[in-house]
This record gives sequence, C-alpha cells and structure tokens, in this order.
Amino acid sequence: MKANADEAPLLSEAHAAFVQRRTSMNVAGRDAEKRPALARGLGIRVAPDRRTLTVYLSTTHSARLLQCLRDNGAIAVAVTRPTTHETLQFKGRVREILPLSDADIEAMAAYRDSFAAELEPLGYRRDFVRQLLAGSEHGVAVVFEPTAMFDQTPGPKAGEKLGEKP
Amino acid sequence: MSITLESIRRCFEGALPAQIATCAPDGTPNVAYLSQVHYVDSEHVALSFQFFSKTRENVLVNPYAQAQVMEPVTGLQYQLALQYLRTETEGPLFEYMKARLAGVASQTGMSKVFRLRGSDVYRVLDIHCTEPQAPQDKLMPENRMPALRACAQQLAKCTDLASLLDELLAGLARHFGIEHAMVLMLDAASRRLYTVASLGYAESGVGSEVTLGEGVIGVAAEQRTPIRIAYLTGDYAYSRALRESLGEDGEKEIPFPGLAKPHSQLAMPIVAGGHLLGVLYVESEQKLRFTYEDEDALMALAGQIGFAMQAFEQNGDAVDEQPSALAPAKSSGAEVAVKIYPADNSVFVNGEYLIKGVAGAILWKLLSDHAQGRSEFSNRELRLEPSLHLPEISDNLEARLILLQRRLTERCTFLRIEKTGRGRFRLAVERPVRLDRFL
Repeated sequence: MKANADEAPLLSEAHAAFVQRRTSMNVAGRDAEKRPALARGLGIRVAPDRRTLTVYLSTTHSARLLQCLRDNGAIAVAVTRPTTHETLQFKGRVREILPLSDADIEAMAAYRDSFAAELEPLGYRRDFVRQLLAGSEHGVAVVFEPTAMFDQTPGPKAGEKLGEKP
Repeated sequence: MSITLESIRRCFEGALPAQIATCAPDGTPNVAYLSQVHYVDSEHVALSFQFFSKTRENVLVNPYAQAQVMEPVTGLQYQLALQYLRTETEGPLFEYMKARLAGVASQTGMSKVFRLRGSDVYRVLDIHCTEPQAPQDKLMPENRMPALRACAQQLAKCTDLASLLDELLAGLARHFGIEHAMVLMLDAASRRLYTVASLGYAESGVGSEVTLGEGVIGVAAEQRTPIRIAYLTGDYAYSRALRESLGEDGEKEIPFPGLAKPHSQLAMPIVAGGHLLGVLYVESEQKLRFTYEDEDALMALAGQIGFAMQAFEQNGDAVDEQPSALAPAKSSGAEVAVKIYPADNSVFVNGEYLIKGVAGAILWKLLSDHAQGRSEFSNRELRLEPSLHLPEISDNLEARLILLQRRLTERCTFLRIEKTGRGRFRLAVERPVRLDRFL
C-alpha cells in the first residue's frame, strides 16, 4: 500500500463530496460461480486521504452480498444522484468488514437525511426513504479500496473510465 | 409463499430506476442503472438495451444477472435472479418497449439520450424481497375481474356492431372509470385505421385516420401488441404529431379527436381469427392512470369484441324478409351539391369535406340509386356491388356503414341512414340533391 502513497488518489475532492451526500447507491459482488449479488448501500464515507471508501450494508437485507464480499472481496459500487442522474461507479477490493463505529452511525444518519431531502422534491415522503434504507440498525461497514472509477451518467459517454490504479 | 412476477408488476412502471449487477469473466462485478424493466410473462422480463455497456458485454459471456426493483408506493425492494436469453431488435416486444421508453425518457428529461437498440430478454430464476418480514398480501394489485365481467356480460347481449361499440364505450366509462376512448377499424387496402366510435371528446372524430405503424395506435395495430405508456411523451411518433402525420391531404382530413397531451395511453389491437380488425384505445390526462391490470382486462375485452365483430360480419348477409314500412322522406328546400372525386372516393357536400374511401363510395351509390327513385337497401346488395371494390374477406361493411351514418349525423342532417331491420336500411334525403362526379 505504501507504494501508492505518492500517487494522487482516484477520487478528487469533488468526487468525494458528490458520493457522500444526496445520492442513491448500489453495491455488487459475486459468488464463486461468478453469479452476481446486489444490494442497496445505506451510506458511504470517503476516508480523509480519499484512498479508501466505506460503504454501509445491512446484514439482514444484504446477507448474500456480504457473504460474497467476505469470500472474494470483489466489489462494485454505483452512486447516482436522483435529480441529475449524475453517476459514478467504483470497482475495487474489500479490505475489511467492520462493526459500525459511532462515527459510522453519524455518517449514516447524515447521509439518510440528505437522501430524504434529495427525494422530497420528487414526491417521495420520508417513510418511503426509511423503507428504502431499511435494515440500517443491523449495519456493517465495508471498507474497500477503489481500483477504477467510471463515469456512468446515462448517455453515450456512460462507461468512460475516469481513472485506474494498477 | 413465493413471490410471483405478476404480484410485483407495479415495480416495472418505470417510476423508479432499477439496478442490475453482472459479472465479467475475470470475476469483476458491475452494477448499472436500468431505465426499463419490462414484464414479458410470468417467467420473463426484458431490459432495455440503449447503449453498448459493461452489463451487455458481461451477460453475453456470463448470462447470470441480479436486478433490483423498487415498489413505488411502499419502497420495498425486490431482487430478481436473472439469466440472459436473447436480444430482440424488432417485433411486438421491441415496439412496445420502444414506445414505453419514450414515455419514461420524457418523464425523466432523457428524451435525447434514450434510444432503444434492443430488448434483452431474461428468464427470471428467483424473486426475493429484501425485507424479510414484509407482508406480501399488501401488494395484491387492484382486481379488474368484476369490471371485466360486467362489461363482458353487456357485450354478450349485443346483436350488431353499432350496439357493440356503444356498449363497449359505456362499459369502459362505467366499470373502468375511463373518460377518453376510441375504437378504430382497419382499412387494409389503405393501411390505415379509421375511427368508428369515441368517448369523451368535444368532437367525436369519427372518420379520422391513423396510419398503420404510426404512433401508439398505429404501432399497436401493426405489431398486434398492446402498448401502455404511463407518462406524457414528447416523442414525435407517439403523441399529438399523430394528427399531422396524414398532412398532405389537409382538407380531406377529419381531425383526430385524441387529447393534445395524454399523460397515459393504452392501445389494444383487436384481433380475431388471426386477422387484425382494429384498435381499442384509451387515454387520460393523468399519469400512471392505466395499470398492468387494466391492460390485462382491456386485452380480454378486445378479444371478445374481435370475435363479436367477426361473427356479425359473417352473419352480415342475413336480412329480415320485410323491411319495416316507413314513409319515404320528402325532399324540400335549397338544392345541395354533392361532389365525388373518384380517385379516393372523397365526397364533398356544398364544398365541405364529408367522407372518403369505401364509405364515400357507398354514399355515392346510395345517392345515385336514390336519384333513380330507390331508398331501401340491404347490406347484402352493397357487399355484392362491384363499384365499391370491397375486399373479399374482412370487408368491414357494417363498420363503414356506421362510420357513414355517424358522419352524416354530425355533418349533414338532411341525409340520414336509418336501420329498417336486420341487414336493411334506408336512405332519407330531405333536400334536393345534385350529383357531380369529378374525373
């Protein structure tokens, strides 16, 4: 890991600000047979050095995905902003899966409020958002290192690679 | 109880984006957003293919995928384990998805970006609700069976096409709460559909035409698939531009009666014995007005009216022996000039366009015979009349007579077609008529 320390992180400060608030996020993994698993993320936190991201998942609502992530570490996370359709996707490796810290719980709550505020003008009430993010009381923190980042905003440029690490 | 695809169809209305996860051969997962998950049948869904994407690249090699959809009311999320089967780039499924995509795209401000390249068909291997305790019975869709039954019962009493059309529209209003509807019949020779009955418009639009393959109605007819759009679409091909689509013959055009800005549209092909007969179309100013259940029920009704139309047509030559006695109408007042242009049999009355095509030719024949002193006619003699050039099968004679009768009622009250018995009618002419034929 030290070898990468001098290189700029994949995410710019703007990317980091974008992903952490008002976004909808979905996390994918896959099992040994390469069958994919998918679940909604319950919040995301970018480390201060922007070299790792922590995405929150529910153990009750995303059991199969968590099993895949534990087994092989391959992860993809798409983050989109509902009102603008601006979307980023990260590919990476899971470093560790941890119980929630107080800081994680705070980050999840702040994210939830921002997501509800984002969806409100689209006509979705808070209880709808609460259901979307259900299972957060049984959350875990999945820490991963992004190795590639893609622009996935709908349109002909979707899929364009914005950066990659060896 | 396992969850059926039918019970979660509300998740496929396009109100909320769905997601899909796939896996590359090297084991790298991918997650992407979907603009449309389309219910095909109880075991299959189709996903819209708009761009060449990682998702597509992956499933062509490793066909397994996981999709996630949201229930738009409760926010419950469902995960569908999928297996990619094939891509369709034409035909009913493709055309249906293309039309729906136009609606979803315009709802989300994405009209310029969304173009359907293909419909990717997947087998649904498993459905799972992420909320382990969620009561699934709350999801039971609205039951349209009682409304369907009530309509079907009324339709079964009809003895002719005119009453069938009237009962159908009345039933849609009464039992389905539908405010705007129309029935169009196919004119196979011109590849057009003409409106024969409508509900809920300032002008009935009877006689207005839609070209096969154009707009929601034309595509539903050509592809013989229902098309249901839940949002207002700005897409030229699917909305108000319909009325401009027949542009060149401006003065011979009866304005299409449809809503200027329908937020919900549903078109059902009327098919019987493998033949396309017409289209039943309903629309609303409200978005998401028609559900999958409406589509199911109205498709069943379209099937019933199709067979009824076919039966009436096959019995069309049956006639009552004696027409009911009616005193011939007296002609008085100013003379009326009726002109026909044989190129398309368009008929103008005192310079105003009335009707064209087979209905125009019928009116001309009736008026010519009337000038010779006849006023009683039978459907059978019209069917055998060579000057009308009726197709041998599926001539829709009764529909054309209804069209003519309704146009006369709306535009020229001094000419009337009055039914005098089964398979018989008379022409009432209340003003002197001068006939001019333009070559």
